[in-house]
Amino acid sequence: MSTHSDSLKVEPLDLSRWRDVPTILIFTGLVGAVLGLVLNVNQFAHSWLVAFMFFLSLGLGGMFLVLVHHLFDAGWSVPIRRFCEHLACLLFPWLAIFFVPIALLAPRLYGWMNVADPHTDHALHAKLPLFTKPAWYLVAALCFAAWWFFSSRLRHWSLEQDKTGAAECTFRMRRLAAIGVFVFAVTLTFAAIMWMKGMMHQWFSTMYGVYYFAGSAWLTLATVYLITMVLKRNGTLAAVLHEHQFYFLGSLLFAFTVFYAYIHFSQYFIIWNANMPEETFWYVIREQGSWFYVGLVLIFGHFFLPFLALLRIDLKLTFWWMVPICVWAWLMHYVDMAFNIKPSISPGGYPWMWAWLDLSCLALIGGVLARVFLKSFASHPPFPIKDPRLIEAMGHRHPVASPISGGEMDETDELADVGAEAGGGAR
Amino acid sequence: MAHSANTLDELKVLPTPKELERPLLVANGRSIGWISDQVAAIVEGKTPGWWWAAFIPSLLLLAMLGAMLLYQISTGVGVWGNNHPVMWGWDIINFVWWIGIGHAGTLISAILFLLRQRWRTAVNRASEAMTIFAVMCAGIYPALHVGRVWFDWWLFPVHNSNNLWPQFRSPLMWDVFAVSTYFTVSVLFWYMGLIPDLAVFRDRAKTKIRKFLYGLFALGWTGSNRHWSNYEKAYLILAGLSTPLVLSVHSIVSLDFAVSQLPGWHTTIFPPYFVAGAVFSGFGMVLTLLIPLRKVCHLEDLITMRHIDVMCKVTLATGSIVGYAYLMELFIAWYSGSPYERFAFLNRLGGPYAWGYWIMMGCNVIVPQLFWFRKVRENLWWVFVISILVNIGMWFERFVIIVISLHRDFLPANWGYFKPSWVDICTYLGTFGLFFTMFLLFMRFLPMIAVAEVKGVTPQADPHDPRGGAKEGGHH
Repeated sequence: MSTHSDSLKVEPLDLSRWRDVPTILIFTGLVGAVLGLVLNVNQFAHSWLVAFMFFLSLGLGGMFLVLVHHLFDAGWSVPIRRFCEHLACLLFPWLAIFFVPIALLAPRLYGWMNVADPHTDHALHAKLPLFTKPAWYLVAALCFAAWWFFSSRLRHWSLEQDKTGAAECTFRMRRLAAIGVFVFAVTLTFAAIMWMKGMMHQWFSTMYGVYYFAGSAWLTLATVYLITMVLKRNGTLAAVLHEHQFYFLGSLLFAFTVFYAYIHFSQYFIIWNANMPEETFWYVIREQGSWFYVGLVLIFGHFFLPFLALLRIDLKLTFWWMVPICVWAWLMHYVDMAFNIKPSISPGGYPWMWAWLDLSCLALIGGVLARVFLKSFASHPPFPIKDPRLIEAMGHRHPVASPISGGEMDETDELADVGAEAGGGAR
Repeated sequence: MAHSANTLDELKVLPTPKELERPLLVANGRSIGWISDQVAAIVEGKTPGWWWAAFIPSLLLLAMLGAMLLYQISTGVGVWGNNHPVMWGWDIINFVWWIGIGHAGTLISAILFLLRQRWRTAVNRASEAMTIFAVMCAGIYPALHVGRVWFDWWLFPVHNSNNLWPQFRSPLMWDVFAVSTYFTVSVLFWYMGLIPDLAVFRDRAKTKIRKFLYGLFALGWTGSNRHWSNYEKAYLILAGLSTPLVLSVHSIVSLDFAVSQLPGWHTTIFPPYFVAGAVFSGFGMVLTLLIPLRKVCHLEDLITMRHIDVMCKVTLATGSIVGYAYLMELFIAWYSGSPYERFAFLNRLGGPYAWGYWIMMGCNVIVPQLFWFRKVRENLWWVFVISILVNIGMWFERFVIIVISLHRDFLPANWGYFKPSWVDICTYLGTFGLFFTMFLLFMRFLPMIAVAEVKGVTPQADPHDPRGGAKEGGHH
């Protein structure tokens, strides 16, 4: 046993040299974004929307993981739940603040807002009263209000449990999650429809909400995996993590790699096969110029590459293998958001000359959110310290016998004591 | 990270409060010997009266199925109620319904295995059997609806005398591959899981014929380390292979409709919506079967209330996903602005078959919400009734999709009202005969609970569990 543990011992991760990265991102991003705003407001609006939808995915994905944790009464995800709660709390006020430029520049993003008489546009006329300016702002306000309520209440009761350890807090969070999951599904769908699909208001697809959800969950799982790995390597969560957190996160990341591809392929295939102009035009635009190649990047980069990379169980637990994949997931989700949003302003292909503006918006929002996240993380216990399921998450009294019963063959070796577990699991 | 350091110093792992303790997967501290005895008793004991009471009507219904199929083959598809404009009627409804039911088994045995859900061990065997028998029932319909069944082999990519190949671009063609692959892999998975238990039955057999037959199918299993090692590897590989099949089969079934241009059928959400619906109906049927069986077979300590509780939650989750899809279809029908889409859905809500739509909504979306309440999940009568309503609701879902979408198409002059013929009804009832006959034979002659797997989730099997390990390890 000792030999096994020693062989896995690694130096604690030194994160001090990364400390200034958020600040650098904020300042460089701010300079770029302001410059972009001055040079080309339309380009700025679109770049900002891509960055916003990208980070919205992260907030919503964090919320989703917290909700399903409570709904399924999961045990394994207790140590990672606290920072998922912080991710969800980015939704309000921070992402709401970042939504302000979109709200202000909405007429530049959503062409239907400029139609003088909506009755002359059939697709717009059919969507009345939803596709009116007041309704659009109302939907946004309702979405952020709902996200604020559920993310803050869930974190509140989680922190309350840190003080008392009471089971009642678990039950309260579960009840919140029961209602929250329905509200989450509706608000996410409306956000995707109103803020992305609505850019080409003539187009429709019943899958679109699920599509945005699948990509968001995928991005969040990659992020959560990365954060968990880092927190284990720097010692913050090492005492409470077990191999199964990495196994489940890796498996879910793999599952959502497939799920996203399945959803996107189904949407594309059904539209392509029926070949009806009112649906196909959305994809036809995305086959023009370099968008065609962006589509190929999504096929190979969003699906095939991570699919093959995540097939092996042992690699799903390996730091140096997983870190690039998680970073790659960020890139691919960004490409996906750009593929959805940018063709409405650049139908001929990706506007490379404005790539710096895209990066600036991403850096600014990302930098601020990173600072907020780190501050939240530092000012609260790093995991739910008195959660009744923590003992289960740590692997104590976790009855595992064989692969058939749901474990792995050598897991019993790692269950001898807490010290051994701290080094066990992912490498 | 000052907070973190303090937190870790102070960390004391608290014991789980009583109200959050997870019940054991095998109740009442049953020993591993008891598990073998209890499951084997169903096979080794005298045939109970209730079994005959269930088997004889099932066999009669099976005979009726045979008669209906013979009548249909000898007379033609005209004996069914299919007629213009509803050219797909009960045949395709029942095909999709049975295929859907066949989804819970592989989900439980493959996906829940990969997700390390240990509760699956008590219910996977019966669910897998249910899957296989449901797929058999489903397979009858496409084979027969072609009319001239002697040309069924044309469905396979075999060069025929007219120099014809199947239409590879047709989803009906994909169905042939998807369903036959699913059936083959499900049977393999089911059979492989049976091998260690068949060996137990072989060793316990008191008659020569039993010893020979169980021994033959146990393939010389001795329970050696090498056998278990190979077995577990094969199990993992088969689970990996089966997982995409759970998604692919019903996705392809959904494409039978979605690739068309018909309002009500052509909608992008169909593949995941069908898969969720299939899992939903599969769990509905698993609950319908296992609730009475655990009682009459005295298996309450193996299929515990915890198992029922978890399955209710899966039913609730999938029912809610299906509800999302129903509402999304309605919303996008309005959002699209297409008059045909809007009409198709208004016709569902208030047309001549509106009763079917509202039965579907009631049974699939509203009724399962009762599972939010622990008291409902703990009351077996409630669970049983809801599970049957789920089965009914899912049948009506297919009725709504197929009949309501077809009976009023683009030209009002084409509109009609579909009614099933007596042959339709008797054929459908007959498939229940096939299903229950097979299931009753299965439970009478094969281990309906995966004995070896259930033993693996007992506290006795875990040397680190304070409630079991070597201290209480049961005799065998």
